[in-house]
Amino acid sequence: MFSPIAPLTHSITVYLDDQPISASKGESVAACLLRAGVPFNRLTPVSGAPRLPYCMIGQCFDCLVEIDGIGNQQACLTIVRDRMRVRRQNGAAIALEHSAQ
Amino acid sequence: MTQATDMRPSVPMDADIIIVGCGPAGMTAAIELAEANRSVIVLDMQPTPGGQIFRNLEDNISQQSSDRQALLAALGPAYRAGADLIRRFRASSRIDYRPLTTVWEVRPDGTVGWLRGMDAGYLRATTVILAHGAMERPVPFPGWTLPGVMTAGSVQTLLKAGNLKPTGNVVLAGTGPLLLLLATQLHKLGVKPTLIARTDRFSDGLRAMRYLRRNGLLPVVKGLGWLAQLKRSGVRMTSGVSDLAAEGERKVEAVSFTVKGRRVRQPCDLLVVHDGIVPAIDIPNGAGLALQWDQTNASWRPRTTSDGLASSALPPDLQPERCVVRITGDARRIGGAEATIAHGRLTAQAILAELRKGDGISSKSQQAVDRTLSVRPFLDAAFPPGLSAKLPDDNTIVCRCEELTAGALREKIRAGFGNMDALRGETRCGMGPCQGRNCMITAARLIEEDRGACGSTPPVFRGRPPIRPLPLGALAGLTGLDPSATELLTLEDKPEHDVEATSDVPAE
Ligand code: FES
Repeated sequence: MFSPIAPLTHSITVYLDDQPISASKGESVAACLLRAGVPFNRLTPVSGAPRLPYCMIGQCFDCLVEIDGIGNQQACLTIVRDRMRVRRQNGAAIALEHSAQ
Repeated sequence: MTQATDMRPSVPMDADIIIVGCGPAGMTAAIELAEANRSVIVLDMQPTPGGQIFRNLEDNISQQSSDRQALLAALGPAYRAGADLIRRFRASSRIDYRPLTTVWEVRPDGTVGWLRGMDAGYLRATTVILAHGAMERPVPFPGWTLPGVMTAGSVQTLLKAGNLKPTGNVVLAGTGPLLLLLATQLHKLGVKPTLIARTDRFSDGLRAMRYLRRNGLLPVVKGLGWLAQLKRSGVRMTSGVSDLAAEGERKVEAVSFTVKGRRVRQPCDLLVVHDGIVPAIDIPNGAGLALQWDQTNASWRPRTTSDGLASSALPPDLQPERCVVRITGDARRIGGAEATIAHGRLTAQAILAELRKGDGISSKSQQAVDRTLSVRPFLDAAFPPGLSAKLPDDNTIVCRCEELTAGALREKIRAGFGNMDALRGETRCGMGPCQGRNCMITAARLIEEDRGACGSTPPVFRGRPPIRPLPLGALAGLTGLDPSATELLTLEDKPEHDVEATSDVPAE
């Protein structure tokens, strides 16, 4: 759906569901995910439908992902950091199971 | 929370002025106030100054590579024009600029709740300027939640700050200058849109002619230039389309629409939609500020004086002594970069006059505001809301967060949940992560449809802080609490025989 305009400079590594992908310093997590070509960043809690970023300015909240262990972060408003751990959200969080671990 | 107002003088101020938003309006006001020796804090969600219009401009200018030069050329001179403003903003030592900071509460008395990473707190100032800008008009249509459907603004953001351009079959649909500008920019970057499906018609353009003013000619000439360029390069364009739908299973595969009574289907990889720009009212509504309906822009906007002073619409017991919030730029009224710069300056001058500094609003700034806004009536008439003109059919999702269809909402409205807060409580429409930013206008129109009302100000969800998610950890460490209004309660404070006072809980 998208391709880089200029070759990646200042490339850093971000982990998406434990897989390393390269990111460009200063870009948003949402841009990074779109470049990586993921088919979705979350499945909705209600019907499990796939979603990707829609507005890119923090209004639609469709870009929600888990970042460094904290869920429901807006990928379009978060800037990548080296070794950041991003997880896609698959439907509703299993709240109790998670906290019991 | 009501006791906060009478205790106010005891709370130290963090600055003379807090500005929310670092786009052209916020930056201009900040510079103007700082030059008059006022202390200014600027809070902004983005990592660098510029707002959406000059997004990532500093970085794009500093890179020498030929690709970046090509990008700058494609984005055009209006983008580069922000460089000087950003430089002056950065150069001012009296401006305390705090990027990557989200505002989750504003109170009419000048208190602002902020969040940065896992730090959060309150700040206070004698005056608060809201310069948080605009958003694209939310438009529900079948398939609008599919991956691969994006707004024109989001694609432009990816060009400016994501180093990304679309590939494959790109279809643009909707109306408005931004849609045509984006098409031109994409074309300059070697991405030729497969089709531009416009909802506006030739007759809209003709009707708009009578709003043409001499001062507003330049933008119109520019727009005609984009159209001519697209035509020359053979980009297919059709106008007067309606009933847009995105088709696909797990992502968009095709777009369909009706034009001249015929249904047209076009396969695509990316569907870019746009139906004009409206003021973002999330902060004003959450602050309990008065809103009004702007018929020409078909949107809410905050009710303000011409120099941006807002008024509180809170119930009497929550009413502050004085509302110290001013609203400027596109957050007040859509005008584009030049108009927001002009109004940002005017607002700053009004504040300085209030503080008995400066000479008040100069006739030059007033003229600049009038001049830069003079093209708006033409644009409003030439590009009327199209994708959102008709209310969605029953099967279309209205609330993206809770996946509620228009049919589900209509059913509840008919069953008696005919006011916004009752509808929200019953269905969760407006209760998801976006807090109604995308569904509020449609929910309000569905209620009006049921009442047979139109032409009035559509009802709104009552906004409540926090208007953006606030992690519990950040909330626990909240700084800047008003000491005189903060009571630390322990278990010992709980009365022995606690009688639950349920009788005087006010009804919604
Ligand atoms: S893409 Fe809309 S909030 Fe991030």
